[in-house]
Amino acid sequence: MRVTEQMRYDGVSTNLSQLSTRQAKAALEAQTGLHVNLPSDDPIAASELARLSASQSQITARRGSINAVRGDAELAESSLQQASDLLATAKDLAMQGANGDLGADERSSLALQVKDLHDHLVAVGNTKGTAGYLFGGSATDAQPFDTTGTFTGNDESHVVDIGNSTPTSVGASGAKAFTVAGGRDVFGDLDALYTALSTNDQAGVAATLGHLDSSRAQITNAQAAVGMTINKLDASDSILGALDLQASKRTEEVGSADPAKAYANLTQLNNALQQSISVSKTVLDLAAFKQF
Amino acid sequence: MAGLTQLLNVARDALTAQSYALNVTGQNISNASTPGYVRRVAQLETQNLGTQSGGGVVAAGLKRVTNDYIERREYQATGMSSAASSRDQTLASLEALFNDGGGTGLGAALSGVFASFSALASNPNDTTTRANVLSAASAFAERANQTGNTISQMQMDLKQKAQDTVDQVNQRAQEIAKLDLQIAQATMQGDDASDLKDQRTQKILNMSGLINTHTFTDGKGNTVVQVAGTTIVDGQHAGSLSLDLNADGSLKLLADQSGGGGSEITQFLTGGTLGGIKEARDKDIFDVSKQLNQFVFDVATAINTQHAAGVGADGSTGRNLFDVGPSTTAARDLQVSVDVFDHPDRIAAASNVFSLPGGSDNAVALSKIFDVPIASGGTRTASQAYGDLVGSVGSTRASAQRDVDTHKAILQQVTAMHQSESGVSLDEEMVNLTKFQSSYQAASKMIGVADQLMQTLLGTVGR
Repeated sequence: MRVTEQMRYDGVSTNLSQLSTRQAKAALEAQTGLHVNLPSDDPIAASELARLSASQSQITARRGSINAVRGDAELAESSLQQASDLLATAKDLAMQGANGDLGADERSSLALQVKDLHDHLVAVGNTKGTAGYLFGGSATDAQPFDTTGTFTGNDESHVVDIGNSTPTSVGASGAKAFTVAGGRDVFGDLDALYTALSTNDQAGVAATLGHLDSSRAQITNAQAAVGMTINKLDASDSILGALDLQASKRTEEVGSADPAKAYANLTQLNNALQQSISVSKTVLDLAAFKQF
Repeated sequence: MAGLTQLLNVARDALTAQSYALNVTGQNISNASTPGYVRRVAQLETQNLGTQSGGGVVAAGLKRVTNDYIERREYQATGMSSAASSRDQTLASLEALFNDGGGTGLGAALSGVFASFSALASNPNDTTTRANVLSAASAFAERANQTGNTISQMQMDLKQKAQDTVDQVNQRAQEIAKLDLQIAQATMQGDDASDLKDQRTQKILNMSGLINTHTFTDGKGNTVVQVAGTTIVDGQHAGSLSLDLNADGSLKLLADQSGGGGSEITQFLTGGTLGGIKEARDKDIFDVSKQLNQFVFDVATAINTQHAAGVGADGSTGRNLFDVGPSTTAARDLQVSVDVFDHPDRIAAASNVFSLPGGSDNAVALSKIFDVPIASGGTRTASQAYGDLVGSVGSTRASAQRDVDTHKAILQQVTAMHQSESGVSLDEEMVNLTKFQSSYQAASKMIGVADQLMQTLLGTVGR
């Protein structure tokens, strides 16, 4: 085969170009630490990376939701604890009022304390979180209890998407905690105690004891439900965290370059390129006419 | 005397012939790097002196060292390589649109929409959270618009590029026909017309980079050039091509008829820049565009359906979040619906009016859309469909890159064959230069010897 100068130049040019392209790609891989810098680098991996990215975004958003509602759930739990404590105090007052040795003035004094408890409980029922009033159901923009303790909210639950197959209810039900929807009308029971104490009705006071226990149990149940919600949120957050970790690991496996391999590859190609340049020079210097 | 005179004549002819050969060698050396130059070989022959022997040398002309078969293969390989490169360059731009590595692509924008629905469910009565839904929806629509518009622009640019290429093909056809005429005239005048033939070959090679080209010589000795299966140059007559669009927007290549109009030859367009443009524009980009529009349409429609089922904080219902165009242009047309634009209170987070303002059922349902198969005929989730789209774009580009490598290798091999046959080897030419130089010097010596003999003879006779 005749070998012409143009063939030598073309060969050198093509070989150097191909080697430079491979070297540039290896350098990019080593610099970015990524095996997939463009979808065409590995289409199957690129497709999986797009899905993993979407999945991680969803996980981040859901964990954000958990974080957002968890604060309100904790506030609801502590508010219900306060409500429970108030009812415990009310029961103490009722037990004192049920004592036959007490006179009308003393019961009247106790009635005033019950009135304070009532007002305090209304304030607890109207606790406001980041998403509005905690115990008003979906009526989050208005106080769910008026000064008399009358409930103006609803029992619609606040649901969020935390990755479960069905929406997760995260709100504390004010209706079930404080109103007859939960079995006892808590404010009604306090009102009954207040009335009995105000009217010096010892038997009436004694009759409220059982109701106050039931009311307190109702609030405790609501508190427990909120506690379970918090546990559920924590569990979901933990699962989502694990999934996020798994997705990150998979993203690393699919999309990242092995640093040692990338560096070794780059070094090898750098050497090959240097050698090729050196050989090319020799090949181009070989021309016989230079010897004439 | 006659013998000495003949020796002088032979030496003179040798000087002329070697000088001619040296000239040809010099021509080869000076054109060693000229694109399209085909090496020449001086045709030295023994001078015919009838029945007598001992004639000198004569330069009968020169020969262009060509191989029609290799030339045709080079045209074909150039066309295929050019088509692959053209397609690959186009797809590189397309691929950049779907490179979500920086988190600024359509996939990231869609994730933003999901995140906004999720946050809305957490705090449905918050104006900022509601405004954020509109903002995320707007970002998704804008990204879809940018991607869709860029693809449309690419298709328009490629149409213009195709038109420019067709114009170049027509121009080359005119030039080749003109060269054919000049070659015919030069040949009739007894010239070898090698330079013109080199130019014609180079023009045809250039044409093969624009469109798949085939050549042959007809019975009359005319060079016939065919592109995309149709004859565009027949001797000194040049035809022309024109470009049009089909009803579906795809390119239509026509061979112009002498009586007006043209016959379609699109199906025979397989190579050259024009072939690459056609495949990239009407197949690759068309497929990706179709997939993108369907994806955007499916996602936006599913969101609209769920959004319309919910109730806004203002008590309104039945409102879409997006204005979606037809499934064929959804990416370009997508916009946040005018019904909700600038009205965060109209974002339907609740499922009924009774659960206002804190109801979040519909916001959750909106975020759940991303978990169910809503795309690709209800078989893929949004993220799966987008992943499929990215993978599809990557596969197409990777395939184009492999084609480039394959056809470059083939072209390299064919070019080497062509160079080996027709290229100038400076080594060879230097040997030839020395050979003809020595022959020239020897011929000069012959004249010197003949002269000395003549002087000797004349001296003897004159004494």
